[in-house]
Amino acid sequence: MSQETTITYSKVNEDIIKMLDKPTVKWWALFVFDLIVLGIGLLCFLYQVYTGLGVAGYSHPVFWAVYITNFVFWVGIAHSGTLISAILFLFRARFRMSIYRIAEAMTVFAVLTAGLFPIIHLGRPWNFYWLIPYPNQRELWVNFRSPLIWDVFAVSTYLTISSVFFFVGMIPDIAAIRDRVKEVPRKIIYTILSLGWKGSNWEWMHYTRAYLYLAAFATPLVISVHSVVSWDFAMANTPGWHTTIFAPYFVAGAIFSGLAMVITLVVPIRRIFHLEKYITISNFEAMAKMIILTSLIVSYAYGVEFFMAWYSGNPYEWEQFKYRATGDYAFFYWLMVFCNSLVPVLLWFKKIRTNIKALFIISLFINIGMWFERFNIIVISLSHEFMPSTWNLYKVSLVELGITAGSFAWFFMFFLLFIKTLPAVSIAELKEILPAPVKEAKTK
Amino acid sequence: MQENKRGGIKRRDFLKIIGVVGTTAAVTGGCSSEPVEQIIPYVIPPEDIVPGIPKWYASTCLECPAGCGIVVKNREGRAIKIEGNPKNPVNSGSLCARGQAALQGLYNPDRIRSPLVKDSSGRFKPLDWGSAEKTLLEKIQSLKEQGRGDRIVFMSGNISGSLERLIKDWLGAIGGGKHLVYETFAYEPLKQGNKIAFGMDKIPTYHVEKTRFVLSFGADFLETWLSPVEYAKKFGLMHSYKEKSMGKFVQIEPRLSLTGANADEWIAIKPGTEAFLALGIAHVIATEGWHSSGISKEEVDMLVALLGRFSPDRVSSITDVPSSTIRRLAEEFVRLRPSIAIGVGAANTSTSATQTVVAINILNYIAGNTREIVNFGESLTISKASSFKDIASLVDSMSKGEVELLFVHNTNPVFTLPDALGFKEALKNVPFVVSFSTFMDETTELASLVLPDCTTLEKWGDYVPREGVYGLVQPAMEPVPLFNTKPIGDVILSLSKQLSGLEELFPQQSFFEYLRDSWRAIHSEVAPNKDFETFWSESLQDGGVFREVASPEVRLSRDILGVDFSEPSFNGEGSLYLMVYPSSRYYDGRGANKPWLQELPDPITTGVWDSWIELHPDTAKKLGVKEGDFLLVESAYGKIEVQAFLYKGIRPDTVAIPIGLGHESYGRYAEKIGVNPIKILPLAYDALSGGLAWLSTRVKISKTGRWARFVKTQQTTSQAGRGIAQAVGLEEIRRGLVKREEHHEPDMYKPHDHKHRWGMSIDLSKCIGCGACVTACYAENNVAFVGKEQVARGRHMSWIRIERFFEEESGFEARFIPMLCQHCDNAPCEPVCPVYATYHNYEGLNVMVYNRCVGTRYCSNNCTYKVRRFNWFTYKWPEPLNWQLNPDVTVRTKGVMEKCTFCSQRIIYAKDRAKDEGRFPRDGEITPACAQTCPTKAIVFGDLKDPESEVSRLSKDERGYHVLEEINTKPSITYLKKVKWDRV
Repeated sequence: MSQETTITYSKVNEDIIKMLDKPTVKWWALFVFDLIVLGIGLLCFLYQVYTGLGVAGYSHPVFWAVYITNFVFWVGIAHSGTLISAILFLFRARFRMSIYRIAEAMTVFAVLTAGLFPIIHLGRPWNFYWLIPYPNQRELWVNFRSPLIWDVFAVSTYLTISSVFFFVGMIPDIAAIRDRVKEVPRKIIYTILSLGWKGSNWEWMHYTRAYLYLAAFATPLVISVHSVVSWDFAMANTPGWHTTIFAPYFVAGAIFSGLAMVITLVVPIRRIFHLEKYITISNFEAMAKMIILTSLIVSYAYGVEFFMAWYSGNPYEWEQFKYRATGDYAFFYWLMVFCNSLVPVLLWFKKIRTNIKALFIISLFINIGMWFERFNIIVISLSHEFMPSTWNLYKVSLVELGITAGSFAWFFMFFLLFIKTLPAVSIAELKEILPAPVKEAKTK
Repeated sequence: MQENKRGGIKRRDFLKIIGVVGTTAAVTGGCSSEPVEQIIPYVIPPEDIVPGIPKWYASTCLECPAGCGIVVKNREGRAIKIEGNPKNPVNSGSLCARGQAALQGLYNPDRIRSPLVKDSSGRFKPLDWGSAEKTLLEKIQSLKEQGRGDRIVFMSGNISGSLERLIKDWLGAIGGGKHLVYETFAYEPLKQGNKIAFGMDKIPTYHVEKTRFVLSFGADFLETWLSPVEYAKKFGLMHSYKEKSMGKFVQIEPRLSLTGANADEWIAIKPGTEAFLALGIAHVIATEGWHSSGISKEEVDMLVALLGRFSPDRVSSITDVPSSTIRRLAEEFVRLRPSIAIGVGAANTSTSATQTVVAINILNYIAGNTREIVNFGESLTISKASSFKDIASLVDSMSKGEVELLFVHNTNPVFTLPDALGFKEALKNVPFVVSFSTFMDETTELASLVLPDCTTLEKWGDYVPREGVYGLVQPAMEPVPLFNTKPIGDVILSLSKQLSGLEELFPQQSFFEYLRDSWRAIHSEVAPNKDFETFWSESLQDGGVFREVASPEVRLSRDILGVDFSEPSFNGEGSLYLMVYPSSRYYDGRGANKPWLQELPDPITTGVWDSWIELHPDTAKKLGVKEGDFLLVESAYGKIEVQAFLYKGIRPDTVAIPIGLGHESYGRYAEKIGVNPIKILPLAYDALSGGLAWLSTRVKISKTGRWARFVKTQQTTSQAGRGIAQAVGLEEIRRGLVKREEHHEPDMYKPHDHKHRWGMSIDLSKCIGCGACVTACYAENNVAFVGKEQVARGRHMSWIRIERFFEEESGFEARFIPMLCQHCDNAPCEPVCPVYATYHNYEGLNVMVYNRCVGTRYCSNNCTYKVRRFNWFTYKWPEPLNWQLNPDVTVRTKGVMEKCTFCSQRIIYAKDRAKDEGRFPRDGEITPACAQTCPTKAIVFGDLKDPESEVSRLSKDERGYHVLEEINTKPSITYLKKVKWDRV
C-alpha cells in the first residue's frame, strides 16, 4: 500500500493520540444530546419503578418483550468484540489489529448496557440482588435450576473478563499517552492507569504471554455466554423456544449482529478522525466476509426451525411457526428475514463489500434485523402458546421506547467518552504490522 | 486516671448518651416521611369478637327476586364474604356472581352518604335525619289533613313479608295510598298463561330435577329466569352424567343464551313464534295418541280439536323449524318422560308471550307433566308483583298530576322502563318524590328528598321468595359508618311516631321489633309447639323457616279455547328483530355498579365493562360490519350506538343487546358505560297479560364508521384442535367405549413425597359457564379489579377463568371449562423461578410466595395453562371497598406474580381446626371458594392421597383427563369430559 511508506512509529503515536485532543463543539453537541436521551430513558425508568411495570406495554400472556429483546440484543452485540480481540488474536488474523480496540470497547459497553435490562424488566427491580447467591441473614438461596441464575453468572463473568482484557490490552498505549500529555490531571491519571509500564523487553515478554492467556480465557466465553442466554428460552417449554438449536443459533446471531455493530461504529470514527490509513478497506472486507458466513448460519437456523417444527409433528410448535410467518406479527418476521438473510447477499459482490457507504447501510439493516429476530422469538412465541384462549397481542408503550432509546444513549455515552480518553486504535499493535524499513523513530 | 478532675463527661458516658440519643432519634424520627401510626388494642375487647375467628350470619340475598339464602362471613366486625346458605331449599348453599358481589353494594364508595334534599337550584344538599324526616312529615301531614292521603303512591321492587305489610298498613293509615310492586322482569305472561290454562294466577316452581327432558322456550333459567341458582342446581342434577344416563335439554330461542349454550340442541326459532312450535309438538303427541293416560276423554277431544290446526307442516312454515324436528321433539318429549316444557324468558316475551305459555301448558298437560313437575303450591311471590298495566296507569295519573307524593324504594323505573312510556317526564309532574335508594340512580336523581336505606347486609328484614320459604334478613355487620343511612322500616316507624293517630297503630320502637312481632304469626302457623324465643333464634340461625308445600292438582281449563294463537306483531321499519336480554351479570341494571360484575367476562362474548350488539356473521357480512365497529341501532323510538360482536349463535334476522348498562347515574363503576337498549323499545304489550313485550321491535342498523377493539378476555373461539374442553358421546360412554387414557413419561426426578395431595375434579357435564366461581374467587382472595383499559391488555387478575369455545364442526356447540392453576406435580413454573418464589410444597400445592417474588415473570412464560397473573400496578380498592378484603389473604402490591392457591387459607383453617380436635381433616371439610359457590357442584376438592375421598374417586373416572396431558405437567386437576347427546 502506497501511503504506508509515510507512516512511521511516531506518526502512529501522533495520529492516534491526536484523537484525544480537546473535544470539538460537535463532540460536545453530540454528548449533550446523548445525555438528554439518556435522561429521558432514566425518567421513564423511574416512572416505571414508581408506577409499576404496567406502564410498559405487556399484555397477558406476553410477559417478556422489548426489555428482554434489548438484553439479548446487547449481549449479542458484545460478542463480536471478544471474537475480534480474542479469537482472531489466537488465529493471528492481522486485519483485527486496527479495529479490535473499538470492538473491545463496544463489548464492555454493550455488556454494561445489557446488564441493565434484566433489572429494568423486573417487577420489583429494587430486589434485584436477591438473584445473587451470597450468604445472607434472610437465609434464602437462589434456585440454581433457573436459567436466569445462569444468566447472572454468564453476564457477570463476561463483564469481568472482557473488562480485564480490554484494560490489559491498553496498558502499553496508555503508557504512550502518559509520555505525551503534559497537563497535570491527565498525566496523573494516565500514569496510574499505565501501571508503570516502561516498554522494556522483560515487560513485553510477560505482557504478551499474559495477553495470550487472557485471550485463551476469553475465547470460550464467546460461545458460552450467548449459549446461556439462549437457554433462557430453550429451557422453557414454550413453543418456539423449546428447541436444541438455540445455542449455536444464538452464538452465530450474536457474532453476526456484533460485526454489524462494529462496522456501524468504525465507519464514522474512521472518517471523523481520518484513520483511513490505519483502518483499511481490506479490514472491512474481512469483516464483511465474516458477516456473510454468520448470515448464512443464521438463515440456515431460520430454515431449520421451521423444518423441526414441521418434522417433529409437534402441533404446538408447528402452529407457532405458521403463526410467525403468517400471523399478526408476520411483518416483523419477514422484516427480519429481509434484513438478516437477503440484504447480506449483497456482500457476495466485491464491489459492494469494498464500498464503505454500502457496508455502513447494510450494517444498519443487520442491526435492525437482529433486534427484530430477538423480538420475534420472544414476543411472537409468547403470544401464541398452548392455550388458544389466551392468545393475545402485544403493543409497545412509550415508556419502553424511552428506556430503549436511553439504553442506546447509555451505550454511546460510554463510547463518546472512550474515544476522547483512551486510544481507540491500538498503537502498539498497529506498529506490529508496519513494514520493517520504516521502523525508524526519528522523522523530524 | 485524671478524667474526673477535668469535669465534663467520661468517654463511656459520652458513648451512652450518643447511643440513646441516636436510637431515640432513629426510632421516633426514622427515615420515613410518613406520619407515625399508632395502633392501640381494644381496652375492653367486645365479648363476641375473637380476632381471627370469623362469625357467620345467615340471611337472605335480595340482589334479585329469587331470594337465595346466604351466610355472611364477618371478621372483626366486617362482612367479608357471602356464601349460599346450605339449609335454604332455594339455593342449597350455592350462590351466583350477583349474590357474591352484593358486598360491593355494601361497601360501594358511591353509596349515598346522608339524607339529601333538593334545593331550589335543583342541587342535592345533605341534611340530618331529623330534619329530613321533618321535611317529609310536613308533606304527609298536609296531605293527610287535606284528605288527600290517597294521592300517595309507594313504588317498590319485589318486597314481601314484614316490610310489605308495614308499607301497606302505613299507607292505609295515612290516607289509603297505593303500593305498587314494580319488578323489571315480572313474568306476567307466565302468570296469565297459567291462569288461562289452569286457573292458577301464579308462577309455580318447576321440578326440573325430576325430569329427563327439558324443552325450554327461551327461558334463560341459568341466568336470570325466576330463580337462576335454584334452576342451575336442578339442571345440574337432571343433566349431569351419572349411572350411564343423563337428561336431555333442548333450547328454543332465536339467540343462543348462556342457558341455550348448555343445551344439547338449539332450535333457532323465528322470534315470537314459540306458541306454534309448542302446539305443533302437542299436535303430534295428540294425533299419535301418545298423550298421558291421566287426562280425560273430553280433554283429549278438546285438545285434538284445538290442535288440529297446528300440523307440523303449517307450524314449520311459521316457525322456521323443520317438521321432522317437530315430530322428533314430540317423540322425545314423550319417550323421555317425565319431561317438562318451560318458558317464556324475558328476552322472548313478544306480544304473543302469554299464548306461548298457554301452549307450553297444553304441551305439559298432554304429556302428563303437571302435578309432579310443576308445583303451584310453591308459587313465587313475584306472582304478586303489580302488572305493567298498573305501572302504565301510574304514569298516566302522574302526568295528570294526580300523584302528590311518590315513594320509590329498591327500584329504578327511570332506567328500566322504556322511554316511550314517559315515566321520566311524568315524574316531573309529581310535586314531591322521595327515594329510599342506597345509590344515586337515575330515579333518585329526580327525587326531591333522598332517605338512603341500608343495604340488605346491614338491616333486619324478611323475604318470602316463594310459598314455604320464609327467609330472614339479619344484619351481617353494623351499618358502614361512612354512610349515614337508616333502614326504611325504621324510617317508617319513626315517621309514624311523629304523626298523630299513628302511634298506637305502630307501637314498635324499631323495625326489628316489628319483624319479630310479625314472625309471631309464622311461629303460630309453623311451629306452635315451640316457644317463640327458641323458634326465633333457631330461625335466625337457619336463615329462616323452610317447609315443603304440596303440589295441588290442576286441570286444563276450557279457557284455552278462547285463546287466539297468532303471530306476534313487531314495531318498526327495520329488517332485523331486536332482542334485548337480561344480563346474567347486571340483571336489569342493578348489578352495574359492582366492579366485580363489570369485570366478570360475559359467558358468551367474554366482553367486560361495556355493551355490545350481537349479530350473525352473515348479517355482518351483508352490512360490511366487523367486530368492534360502532353501529347505530335505530328503532322508531330512538337510537343507540354500540359496538358489534359477531356471533354464530343468533339467527341472521335477529340482533341482540344485553340489558343492564348505559347508566347515566349509578356511581363511578356504572356511569357512562355501555348503552341501555330499553331506551329504544316501543311501548308494546303482551296481548293477553298486558306485560311489557320485550321482543317487539325491528331495528335498522348502520355503520357509524368508528371502530375500536372490542374489549373481551378471550380473543379466540376455537380450541385449535387441542382438546382443552373435551366431550364424549352419550352412546359411546354408555357402551363402555370410553377408557381412561393415562399418560406416562419417564421421569428424571424422584416422585414428590406428599403428606396430602390436594386436588380437584371439575365435571364439564355439570359446568354451565355462569362465572359464579370467578366472582367468589375475587371475593375470597382479594383479587383486584383493573378496569376496561387494563382488561384490553389481558391484565385482568382473575385466578380462575371460564374458557368458552365454539365447536363448529357439527352444528354450533358451546363448551365451557373453568381454568385455574392446575397445581402440577411437575410444574413448569417452579424450576424457572430464580428465587424460589414459587415452589412445590409437601401437600402437593404449587405455592407462590409474594414476598419473595422479584417479578421476572418467567414462571408465567413457562406456565402451560397461562393461569398466572402479574401485578402491573398496586391496585386500589377505593374506601370503603377495601373493608371487604379478606384478612387471611395477603393484598398484593405491584411487581409480584399471583395465582390460584386452592384457597390455602381455607386449607390451613380446616387443618388447624382438625388439629385442635385431634383428627385429620375430613373429606369435604375443605372447600375452596369456587367449589363452594358452584350452583351445579361441578367442582369437587379434596385429598388425592386419600383413596376414599370423593376427589380420588372422580379422578379415576372413565371420563377423566388432564388438560394438555402430553406436556407431562401432571396436574392436580382432573377434568371429566362433557357428555353429549349424539346429534340427530
